Amino acid sequence: MARPEYDRELKRINDNVRAMGLEVTGAIDNTIHAFSQKDTRIASQVIANDATIDRMETDIEEACIGIVIKQQPVASDWRKLASYMRMIGDLERIADNCSDICIIIKKVEGMKRETGEEGVSVPDVFKNMMLIMREMVGDTIRAFLTSDIELAQSAVEKDEIVDRDFDEIMKEIGKALKNGAKAVEQYEYLILIDKYVERMADHAANIASWIAFIVNGELKMQYTDRYQKAAEETSEK
Amino acid sequence: MGTIIEVKDLHLWYGQKEALKGINLDIQEHEITALIGPSGCGKSTFMKCLNRMNDLVKDCRITGSVKLNGIDIYKDMDVNMLRKNVGMVFQKANPFPMSIYDNVAYGPRVHGIKNKKQLDEIVEKSLRGAALWDECKDRLKTNALGMSGGQQQRLCIARAIAVEPAVLLMDESTSALDPISTAKIEELCLELKKKYTIVMVTHNMQQANRISDTTCFFLLGDLIEHGPTKQIFLNPKNPKTEEYITGRFG
Repeated sequence: MARPEYDRELKRINDNVRAMGLEVTGAIDNTIHAFSQKDTRIASQVIANDATIDRMETDIEEACIGIVIKQQPVASDWRKLASYMRMIGDLERIADNCSDICIIIKKVEGMKRETGEEGVSVPDVFKNMMLIMREMVGDTIRAFLTSDIELAQSAVEKDEIVDRDFDEIMKEIGKALKNGAKAVEQYEYLILIDKYVERMADHAANIASWIAFIVNGELKMQYTDRYQKAAEETSEK
Repeated sequence: MGTIIEVKDLHLWYGQKEALKGINLDIQEHEITALIGPSGCGKSTFMKCLNRMNDLVKDCRITGSVKLNGIDIYKDMDVNMLRKNVGMVFQKANPFPMSIYDNVAYGPRVHGIKNKKQLDEIVEKSLRGAALWDECKDRLKTNALGMSGGQQQRLCIARAIAVEPAVLLMDESTSALDPISTAKIEELCLELKKKYTIVMVTHNMQQANRISDTTCFFLLGDLIEHGPTKQIFLNPKNPKTEEYITGRFG
């Protein structure tokens, strides 16, 4: 008893998740470009394209709900669908963060034009952090397409580098502000971007966790470890 | 909780045809164990071995052992005692053409209980146990054949539990029922397992998933895979199990 229509629908959903993943990595590339080149035109494109990614998420979600109701999937089919529904949420949040960063890029460039204020120097580590985050997202999408849990795990491990870079950037900005830097508002925006990039990497790690669940049924969400670690670090000595 | 039925290297032949090919399985007490698999896979044959229903089949030969609470049911147990301990409910409700009361009292009477008060108590307790008392307490003397299909099936469950078996075998017992009657029987099974052990054959994957604790997948006379139902339906180890439960063959 084959289920051709069911299989076709599952494949359609899988293809759409893949397409959404590629759209989101495109948004990240454009965001990194807009940030490094102060390119407000590309930043505007990223913001405008966010609605497309939102629609992709809604369409996939509706398709997943539809197939769950109609076909009552179990085993690996269910693991995939349950994971897709969570993964697309993380992908959509990454795209939102791209838009958030691009909005800031436009604001800062507009502010600089209006006031004649010079741009602040961005810590070198910022570029590294963004590229690692981009690698993480790219690797998780490839891991998803090839069911490669080792690649997914390597993406998870890179989250620590991003977290370290995040802390370093915070320290450098703090130092600059303490030393009486002008353009305080620009630094505030940099702090926000720092946090957005760090969150994007967290979302990539979440997606990687769902890939492991799809492939071998093991569910170990990264945020559990993340918050456990944070709780230990912030507990009163 | 422990093992109530222990099946070791069970083979069964119908003439030349080997219908069970060396089944090993421990069934846990106070659990619902679901037997699934495509038609002809051996699941009903296996279940019938648990109360020796295959004894009546011509040219049927069985080797291996089935132990109920440590006693070999093929060597060391009287078949009447076995069937008192291992009751069965079939696919189609089969009440006797007599009153509701007499249907339930039938088993206890066969086992020697004649006292009216005692029988009244057993009938009420069994009908309550089968979630049927409130629906039929005012018409216990009416013919059981006048009941709805779902009620008849629950009456069969009441009849089975009237002799206080340890194990209840259910052979596709809800397949002929509408969703509401099915839901009532499923709820009932969840209640009954507190007192009894249930082994059910079902073609309804959702039913196995909904109510069983352990699922066993049979194919061509082999027990391919068994384990906690959640694991079988979320992450089966054997690709054949995966193909069957996802509906890609069978």
